Amino acid sequence: MISLKALRKNPFKSLLIFSSITIAVMAIFLISSVSQGVIGMYSKMIKTDGDIIITQKGISDTFFSNVDIGLIQKIDKLKSVASSYGMIVGASPIGHIPIAGIYGTTANHFSHYKLSKGEYPKDGEVILGANLAKQFATRSVNIGNKRFKISGIFSSEIGFEEGGVVMNIEDAGRLFNRSASFILVTTDLPNNTDSIVKEIALLDDEVEVKTTQNFVKEYNQFKIIENSSLVISTLAFAMGLMGIASVMSMIVNSRKEEFGIMRALGKSRFFIIKNLFFETLIMSVSAYLFALLLSLGILAMLPHVEMLQGYVNGTLSLSTAIYVLASTLFMALLGSLVPAWIASKTDPILLINQGCA
Amino acid sequence: MIKVSHVSHFYGEEQVLFDLSFEIKSGGFIFLSGESGSGKSTLLCILSTLLKPSSGELLIDGESVDKIKNLDYFRQSKVGFVFQFHYLINYLSVYENIALAALEDKKHNIQIILKKLGISELSTRYPNEISGGQRQRVALARALVNEPKIIFADEPTGSLDSKNSTIVYGLLAEASKNGTTVVVASHDMQIENYATKIIRLKDGQIL
Ligand SMILES: Nc1ncnc2c1ncn2[C@@H]1O[C@H](COP(=O)(O)OP(=O)(O)O)[C@@H](O)[C@H]1O
Ligand SMILES: [Mg+2]
Repeated sequence: MISLKALRKNPFKSLLIFSSITIAVMAIFLISSVSQGVIGMYSKMIKTDGDIIITQKGISDTFFSNVDIGLIQKIDKLKSVASSYGMIVGASPIGHIPIAGIYGTTANHFSHYKLSKGEYPKDGEVILGANLAKQFATRSVNIGNKRFKISGIFSSEIGFEEGGVVMNIEDAGRLFNRSASFILVTTDLPNNTDSIVKEIALLDDEVEVKTTQNFVKEYNQFKIIENSSLVISTLAFAMGLMGIASVMSMIVNSRKEEFGIMRALGKSRFFIIKNLFFETLIMSVSAYLFALLLSLGILAMLPHVEMLQGYVNGTLSLSTAIYVLASTLFMALLGSLVPAWIASKTDPILLINQGCA
Repeated sequence: MIKVSHVSHFYGEEQVLFDLSFEIKSGGFIFLSGESGSGKSTLLCILSTLLKPSSGELLIDGESVDKIKNLDYFRQSKVGFVFQFHYLINYLSVYENIALAALEDKKHNIQIILKKLGISELSTRYPNEISGGQRQRVALARALVNEPKIIFADEPTGSLDSKNSTIVYGLLAEASKNGTTVVVASHDMQIENYATKIIRLKDGQIL
């Protein structure tokens, strides 16, 4: 097959196209999957641990919200409520680590964090996430202006939790000067939560009550991450695609002479376009697959990179993969076939150039 | 076989061919001579359908070139080209370069021609693995493979030493003896020895 021969005999050019496609495709994969991954983890944390979330009215961010923890007692008395817990989410320097997550929770939620060593924290104690624990050999640690005893180490399915500490909600409340960031409620009727949402809303007019499903959908931080990653990845991808198209057209232009020769030998326009089509196809599909494998490899490694402390995670959706494949092919073919088509309409000898000069 | 009537050609504003009219009959070895810049290559390209003249008409076997429906097939089956530079395709072997040009029913000619031109043993090599003289012979083999009625050659020995030039001229002369019309454009007067007809160009006009 002539296309393969052309690719093999021009390894440098082939490599150039191959790597430019690979880089462009990887850029979009990594940017979009990391942002999807971060959102996915946070929403999983909220969704798996409850059906209903209670935050401060008018405060749409879990970090700034403040609700009265006393509400838990009233909620637990409601029919169809299975359990509920309060949580404070914050961030602070921990020892020599400039910033890490702090999860203050009521004791009934400790079991969410799987102890791998020691025991759950009492007052004035913390347990460290597995990733963070690697940074500390001491028995106690400074958080804010207080010193906490390290009572154990935990692991979690949610990567970034392993980069933080867990303590009692009262301790966290003193650090962050609030009662609870939010309260999560698990019901006996996960499919019919609307009536319970209304009942809880009647208990306190300072709070906002939502199903976790709705909360995650409407959560502003997610929208910001999602939108900005969409903008960044679209830009990166657009630039990558233009790079692909321009590399392709440069290469096609540098091969005008060859096309002129083929035309002079009586090869049809169709013959030239067809071969170029296959060359481009082979090139971009193999570069795409290579980029896909590399990206999947990197994404699989990310949670284990110590520096990132599990904060960065990535998932690659099938629809993203298909979308990227389609647009890569489109741009590569556009970049190669349009100049080839224009060239094929030129008098062959003008393509060969020196011929008449 | 080829009739040129009132052909002029411009590159942009610059006119390089001035209202040329003449006829080339079938058979023979035609030498298009003239100094560098006189318009030989331009005329040869027009004669061989590789370039459309700015004005005027070209008739081949009585048919206007503009009216030829399948110009690709016409070029492949009726015409052969040899250029000053070999213009072989660098990623194809000697054999594949010739096969690229060959019509399906002429593929059996490839080995015969390679042998005749003394380059059979090169058939698996690539253009950058053979000498300039050998490359030009491969280009000639490519031009001959479809047994065209007419062969055009533009400075076919322009990049060759005199020994290789003589070989190439000999091969072109032999083709013309076998009935192919050969049209060679060159400023090399050595060709006069082979030519059966000479067309002299000066500043885009026939002398
Ligand atoms: N592609 C081109 N564009 C512009 N001018 C050209 C081109 N090819 C040839 N010319 C000009 O046309 C004239 C005739 O050139 P050419 O046909 O190559 O003559 P020759 O083959 O006899 O040297 C020259 O003045 C040359 O500079
Ligand atoms: Mg010339």
